[in-house]
Amino acid sequence: MTYLLAAAPFFPFLLALLCILPQVRRHAMQMLAFAPVPGLAAALLAPGGVLILPPAPFRITLFLDTPGAILLGTSSLLWIAAGAYASTYMRGDEKARGFAVWWLLTLAGSQGVFLVADLTSFYLAFALVSLAAYGLAAHEDNAAARQAGILYLVLTLVSEALLIMAFVMLASGAGGNPDIREVVAALPLSPWRDAIITLLVLGFGLKMGLVPLHVWMPLAHSVAPVPASAVLSGIVVKAGVIGLMRFLPFGDVLPGWGGLLVVSGLVTAYFGILVGLTQTHPKTVLAYSTVSQMGVVAVVLGAGLTAGDEGTVVAAALYAANHVLLKGALFLGVGVVLTTPRDRLWPLALLALTGFSLAGLPLTGGMLAKVAIKGPLGDGTAALLLTLSAAGTTLLMLRFLERLRAAATGEETGAPKGLLIPWAALAGTALVAPYVLLPLATGDAAWAVVSLADLWNTLWPVLLGLALAAALRSHVGRLPAIPPGDVVVLAKRLGPTLTASMKAADRMEGTLRRWPAAMLLLVAITLLLAAVTSGR
Amino acid sequence: MSGFLLVLAIMLPPAWVALMLVAGGRASEHLAHLFVPFGLAISLVIAALVADGGPIIYFLGGWRPPLGVGLRADGLSAAMLVMTAVVMAATAVFAAPAFRTPEGQSEARAPFAFWVLLIALWGALNLVFLAQDLFTLFVALELLTFGAVPLVCLDGSAATLRAALRYLLFALVGSAFYLLGAALLYGAHGTLDILLLAERARAGTGAGITLFAICLMVAGMLAKAALFPFHLWLPPAHAGAPPAASVVLSALVIKAPIFLAMRLWYDIAPVPEAGATLLALLGAGAILFCGTLAFQQERLKLLVAYSTASQIGYLFLMFPLTGAEPFASIAWTGGVLHLVSHAFSKAAMFMAAGLIAEAMGHDRISGLSGVGRLLPMSVFAFGLGGLSLMGLPPSGGFTAKVMLLSAAVAQSAWWIAVVILLGGLLAGGYVLRLVLAAIAPGPMPVPVKAISRRRELIALALALCAIALGFVPLQPSSLLAIGRPGSWEAMP
Repeated sequence: MTYLLAAAPFFPFLLALLCILPQVRRHAMQMLAFAPVPGLAAALLAPGGVLILPPAPFRITLFLDTPGAILLGTSSLLWIAAGAYASTYMRGDEKARGFAVWWLLTLAGSQGVFLVADLTSFYLAFALVSLAAYGLAAHEDNAAARQAGILYLVLTLVSEALLIMAFVMLASGAGGNPDIREVVAALPLSPWRDAIITLLVLGFGLKMGLVPLHVWMPLAHSVAPVPASAVLSGIVVKAGVIGLMRFLPFGDVLPGWGGLLVVSGLVTAYFGILVGLTQTHPKTVLAYSTVSQMGVVAVVLGAGLTAGDEGTVVAAALYAANHVLLKGALFLGVGVVLTTPRDRLWPLALLALTGFSLAGLPLTGGMLAKVAIKGPLGDGTAALLLTLSAAGTTLLMLRFLERLRAAATGEETGAPKGLLIPWAALAGTALVAPYVLLPLATGDAAWAVVSLADLWNTLWPVLLGLALAAALRSHVGRLPAIPPGDVVVLAKRLGPTLTASMKAADRMEGTLRRWPAAMLLLVAITLLLAAVTSGR
Repeated sequence: MSGFLLVLAIMLPPAWVALMLVAGGRASEHLAHLFVPFGLAISLVIAALVADGGPIIYFLGGWRPPLGVGLRADGLSAAMLVMTAVVMAATAVFAAPAFRTPEGQSEARAPFAFWVLLIALWGALNLVFLAQDLFTLFVALELLTFGAVPLVCLDGSAATLRAALRYLLFALVGSAFYLLGAALLYGAHGTLDILLLAERARAGTGAGITLFAICLMVAGMLAKAALFPFHLWLPPAHAGAPPAASVVLSALVIKAPIFLAMRLWYDIAPVPEAGATLLALLGAGAILFCGTLAFQQERLKLLVAYSTASQIGYLFLMFPLTGAEPFASIAWTGGVLHLVSHAFSKAAMFMAAGLIAEAMGHDRISGLSGVGRLLPMSVFAFGLGGLSLMGLPPSGGFTAKVMLLSAAVAQSAWWIAVVILLGGLLAGGYVLRLVLAAIAPGPMPVPVKAISRRRELIALALALCAIALGFVPLQPSSLLAIGRPGSWEAMP
């Protein structure tokens, strides 16, 4: 059974490689729904499994722990649904085959990050999912997609640079390619502990979109084709989440770092809601909701770090898994509702239910996810602020539905079955999945953990959100227009500085190329070299 | 017996060149192709023997230094020999259609010159890697320069002649510095043999002169290797050179002076830390400055050329990181691994860039939109080579970068770590400029010339070599420590 662990990342990777053959490439789109199946099978059949592939020094260690299994299983479900959806959605797109190859590579990398247990393989899988996702984000042939893609790539490379530095510092002294758990256990004693954690939080924070590192996310997620948006926002950002889960030392009490994560998570959660409300494109609204939700995950992880509680990771994984399915269903729903006639209401109703589940509507899976993170959070201000943020999520979901209705043209003829079935199945799964996952992960039955107070605590924010929406209804038109990507606009001011420094380099090159300059420099550097070597 | 292989490695190429000169024309072209399997086999067998049984030593005529001249292959030279052989063999296959003597002619200038020079360069490189005395090494360096300069101006246009002359003059200045240093060393120690020099320098006389001489010679090597700020000759030399010449120049020829700088620095006398830091500063300047310029180039070929000028900077970051036991350090392995994987990836990238330019009739990056659909394999090879330059896994460049970073972290040389990371970002910038343009949507570009699949495959194979080097274990390599520090006494 443990060989399933290897099949999960390698099967899609092999399919991507086989796409070199034209006869395989022709069926690339049809393979998308099947490629994630080994991942799902591994999550169901082999949790706790360990597989060490080739002998040292080429060792790849795969280990499926509980958080990994939860995220691998749910993301495989989304990959399957989105893959089936894509094979219909992308029909008629002449670049669909190239899209499928990027898709398979992203899939391979994302399955990998949930599974690998050694440092080098983690970096490899992380780089694969990050870089291949570019192909999904920048698929559409327009200026917005190109710009979003380039911003994404630049920030991805920055995050890779931060992480490799962190990993090298982590492995310093361990030598070779150590296991992640080994080096993380030694992290609190490292002389560079704070530097390493800073690099990790920045590197993974870029991936999961902690404010102000979120700038690429609303841009990249909203310009991609619908199924690609679903996996980008649902799954690819989780590479950052699993990174924090794997690399932060939850076994130790680090209140300073925990507090910092909590604060930045709260800022992110509210920032995502507030800026999301001002957006006009439904997919951008959803992307900001992802920013906000990743803020919630960061708060949970921060609370765990403050308390030194390793159990937090499972709770955070449950919350993140809930987000995988719900956000996937919400994005896929965009494509369905936009092609459904206005008078057919059930798709919109199902989509609304999915949205409210994200806000934690009682009895939905989302409520259970909120209950699961209640324990680690405790009763402090942070917990209250998070509960309150659910009202914001409700508001954001209403805004999303309103923008989606506004985007309808009135010429819709009905969504094809190829879109409708994967979406409806995914949405249905998303609404109940936490009821299955919670007992598997913690051993507690759902009814045992949910109290009457929980029902009320998850209901009032939704009601508050609805009330706010009703009250603010007449003010919607007066929302400020914040461009997607918000603070990236500030970064554009860096442009002229960059150009100026490049021009300066060009001028300097002109000087260096002159003979007298080169010869003088050669003599000067020789003398300098001689001077510094003899002047001991 | 194994010592005889060393003689073969340095004598067979010149003998072959003589044969080619006699045979002339088309026959010399065939002879060059015939040489490839022999050259490859000799280098591979030497490397296998060194890896298996330690350094190989041979004294010409049985006379030991200081009376005679010795040849010696240790782990480092074995790695260099194999790298050279693989890139040379690939170049010979790659260049075959471009330098075919035209039908109906018995001899044409460019093909004849190219094949003769290629084999001569192979021999000169082998000599650099095996010779142990400063005079033989000087001869090898000159052979290398005189082989490489005509390759640069093979098409004979005014611009390439000017570039070649610039290269020649600057290389000669480098040689002058080297010669001056060698003379000083001879004056101080009465020998030119590197291993004997090391012994006598240890004995303690003339330490000041020894260090000054080493500095002079290393500075000369910097000029020949085009390390910032002496890269003035490199981009123009590449601009008009045929792709195959660029491959040899960038992947191999400039590595010879770097190899020699490493030997002078590490093998003669321990040089104080401050000098190593200065070398690393120049390396950092190369990485950042030339990387920025590479990003700004409008022509693909110049982009790759500036990238070479930038990448050799990494090799000089190694010097302050090797510590007290240099040859067993991770930085030593990382530096050499970077040298080798850069040779493979840069060879692949120059080949790919050459094929793209050949197919499109130009190499302006702004006009290469969509070329990925025309030459998918070439663009893929360029991208894989670029992956190694960017230091992303899995690739030799990645493993080398991690090794150098580890060494920098272990020694708390944070500024070096920052330069390595920034260099990776710059490389990402200039590599992605082409790759993004190539995979951009739009109409399929119209080729001016069809490109044979085989040449694309050669580029791809070299890029895959660079990728395969990523599987070198992340620890100090035992091969590269074989026979170091060197000694004539270590005879089997």
